[in-house]
Amino acid sequence: MSIHKRYLGIILVLALSLAASRRGFAASPSVTAVLSNSETAVGETVQLEIKVSGANSANVPQEISIDGLQIQQTATSRQFEMRNFDVSSSVTYNYTILPLRSGKFKIPSQTVRIGNDSLRTPEFVLNVTSGSSGSAGATQRGQAAPAASASKLAFAELVVAKKDAYLGEMVPAEIRLGFDPRAHGRLEEGPELSGQGFTTQKLQQPRETMETIGGRTYQVYTFKTAISPARAGKFEIGPVQAKAVVLLPRRPSAPRINRPRSPFDLFNMDDPFSDPFFSDPFGSMGERTELPIRSETATLNVKPLPPNAPQNFSGAIGSFSMTVDAKPKNVQVGDPITITATVSGRGNFDRMNGPALEDEHGWHKYPPSSKFKQDDDVGISGEKTFETVLAPNEKKTAVPPLSFAYFDPVKENYVTLRSDPVPIQVEGGAAPAVAAASAASVVPAPTPATPAPSAKPADILYQLNDLGRVRSFARIYARSTFWIAQLVPLFVLLGFSGWKIRRAKIDNREARRVAGLQQESAELLRKLRRSKLSPQEYFSNASRVARVKTALAKNIDPNAVDAETVARTFDLDENERARLRTLFERTDELRYSGTGNGDKALARDDREEVLNLLESLRA
Amino acid sequence: MRAAIYIASLLLFVIGSPVASAQASPQFAKANQEYAAGDFNAASRDYEELVRARQDTPNLFYNLGNAYFRKKDFGRAILSYERALALDPRHPEAQANLRVARDEARALELIPTELEHLLSLATPNQYAIAAAIAFWICTFCVVAAMFNQARRRGLIAMSILSLSIFAASVFATWKLSRGKNGAGLAVVTAENADARLATADSANRVLTLPAGSEIQILNQRGDWIYAALPNNLRGWMPAKSAEQVQL
Repeated sequence: MSIHKRYLGIILVLALSLAASRRGFAASPSVTAVLSNSETAVGETVQLEIKVSGANSANVPQEISIDGLQIQQTATSRQFEMRNFDVSSSVTYNYTILPLRSGKFKIPSQTVRIGNDSLRTPEFVLNVTSGSSGSAGATQRGQAAPAASASKLAFAELVVAKKDAYLGEMVPAEIRLGFDPRAHGRLEEGPELSGQGFTTQKLQQPRETMETIGGRTYQVYTFKTAISPARAGKFEIGPVQAKAVVLLPRRPSAPRINRPRSPFDLFNMDDPFSDPFFSDPFGSMGERTELPIRSETATLNVKPLPPNAPQNFSGAIGSFSMTVDAKPKNVQVGDPITITATVSGRGNFDRMNGPALEDEHGWHKYPPSSKFKQDDDVGISGEKTFETVLAPNEKKTAVPPLSFAYFDPVKENYVTLRSDPVPIQVEGGAAPAVAAASAASVVPAPTPATPAPSAKPADILYQLNDLGRVRSFARIYARSTFWIAQLVPLFVLLGFSGWKIRRAKIDNREARRVAGLQQESAELLRKLRRSKLSPQEYFSNASRVARVKTALAKNIDPNAVDAETVARTFDLDENERARLRTLFERTDELRYSGTGNGDKALARDDREEVLNLLESLRA
Repeated sequence: MRAAIYIASLLLFVIGSPVASAQASPQFAKANQEYAAGDFNAASRDYEELVRARQDTPNLFYNLGNAYFRKKDFGRAILSYERALALDPRHPEAQANLRVARDEARALELIPTELEHLLSLATPNQYAIAAAIAFWICTFCVVAAMFNQARRRGLIAMSILSLSIFAASVFATWKLSRGKNGAGLAVVTAENADARLATADSANRVLTLPAGSEIQILNQRGDWIYAALPNNLRGWMPAKSAEQVQL
């Protein structure tokens, strides 16, 4: 098997060698070129592929100079193909074209030198439109300068929505971190927004998108937050700092002097992705490198709030609306009414206090509770619901208006929202305390977790002069007397069980006695049917059968049975009585006189007569 | 057997009823006189002494509640009325005055659950007695069924019914004992006590409770208690700001 394999390997090597030797005699080299797209937009790249077949290498231009286009060779790949032992090879040169402006561009024919031969590629026309490529807008947003161009692997960007803000106002902000997808960037620390004089909302989970910035694709993580200035004045926000780990190709030990500059290397720095590692990632290993990322700072001009704030202004800044409702609307004096005020809009909900009651006279007010339902990621937009419990101390027809003041940074003035009075009906009159007390069966109705709603009695009831019986707070099952009391039914149960068991035993003894008598009777009858018994034995057994049968019928001792008892028990006629008496007399006679002793057998007719008599004894 | 059940039931009810009788106390009469004379401080002092002497009667707590009410100490007044009702849930005067005191104090109440409300037809003690009776009836029926073949079917049906009543009564007892009026019930005695998110005076406030408000103590850590509050809230309160109803 191994010999066969060896031969097969030799044959394969020879075939390949032959094919390789024939390569020189193969078809002459040829060149083809393909443009990935003839239509594109400014900033969007297209690929140009020049394929040289029939050659291992070729001399192609590293750069193609066209005004308005930046064309750079980015990768080279080689293919080998074997058909019927005919090996062919080709080499493909990839160019990336970055349009810098719109227009119709002609990519002229390029010369490709293969040895002494010189071949030319076809000519191409590329239409570049001015359509937006996401990068342009993205980098212009906010005030922070885009950092994408400064670093080629990753960038950080701080986008603040406003240049001017008021003290305490919530200003939306975005932190954007972009990574070249080929670098497989992973965030290790941050991002952190440094600076003084403002507070920020907690950063939410980032949104991940792919964006093209400066003709280059980035994986962008966008963190949303909001900045709230804590003091007036002009101050810097940021920079945003983060630390990421990226994958970089290993640098060759020898310097690459002849390698041309990357088209994206705007600052004449090395573009690590020009490295062949990225066109042939299995050719060498990459290394993970920690990369600090830092954004530009943003400037925010913070103005103080105007001085003429309304009395009930509590610091709310934004744009809000308010709705008010009251429930229930038909109550007694002293009953609680829940006032629900919902403030919705956009602003600093965290500094917002509830609306104030304009006229608190005649009302008892409890501290309000609030809950916030946000509509966005950072809590700038949403609705905050304030629930206040009011109890009317007197008759009322409406819940007084509620007012809520805030500062509108757009209008640059204070706004006071005022609700309409909510009509309600408050029944007056307090139920007298005596009435409540006299109704002994009245159990306080379950009330909501609010002040006790009830008709307010005039006064408490009288003192009691009887001290009454001492009671325990402990539950009955926690007292020893309860468990001791359980012994009573337990003992009753045990007594009942014992009595029942004894009865069963007695019943069992009686049954055994009856069974013994029945057995004895049957045994004696069997003996009587035999002919070998002496007259004494025969009559003795016969009278015994009569006694046993009578004992079974009357549940008495067989020894206490005489002829008369048998006759009465079985209600015998005169003839049977006479025969029975004769039987008992003969028995006594034979037993006590001894005249019947001997082996003289009893006549058959006599035996039959006795047997018939005994069998007739049935209750 | 029927007679045995009757006897057992009677005994259990006797056990369930108050076992001790307070002697006529001169101090109680004296306190009442002080109250009638308007000396509510002295009256409350004397009532408290009787409480310390473990003369725990509903009427004593009721009178004590009245004395505190007159002193405008609504928290302790409500606490005393609650104690009177814990000893005698049907005490009509305590029920009436408790409502008055709560109105005055604007005290907050805990909400009993729907199930608790349904089960409040009887007290936990009554449910416990019902459970005991049902248990013994069930046991007697099972034993009788073992000895009596003729009535076995009826006895087994009776034992199943009794067992069901036993289970329901045990559940009701357990539920009420852990519910709003269970052992953890306490009344806020401090004025406007703050319930907080953590065991620190500087922690965020959950709710401000007027004196007399009900809470249910869930846990205690040092000088702080963790309690279920009205409005379905929970928070930490200083232990000295509330007193448990059951002594």
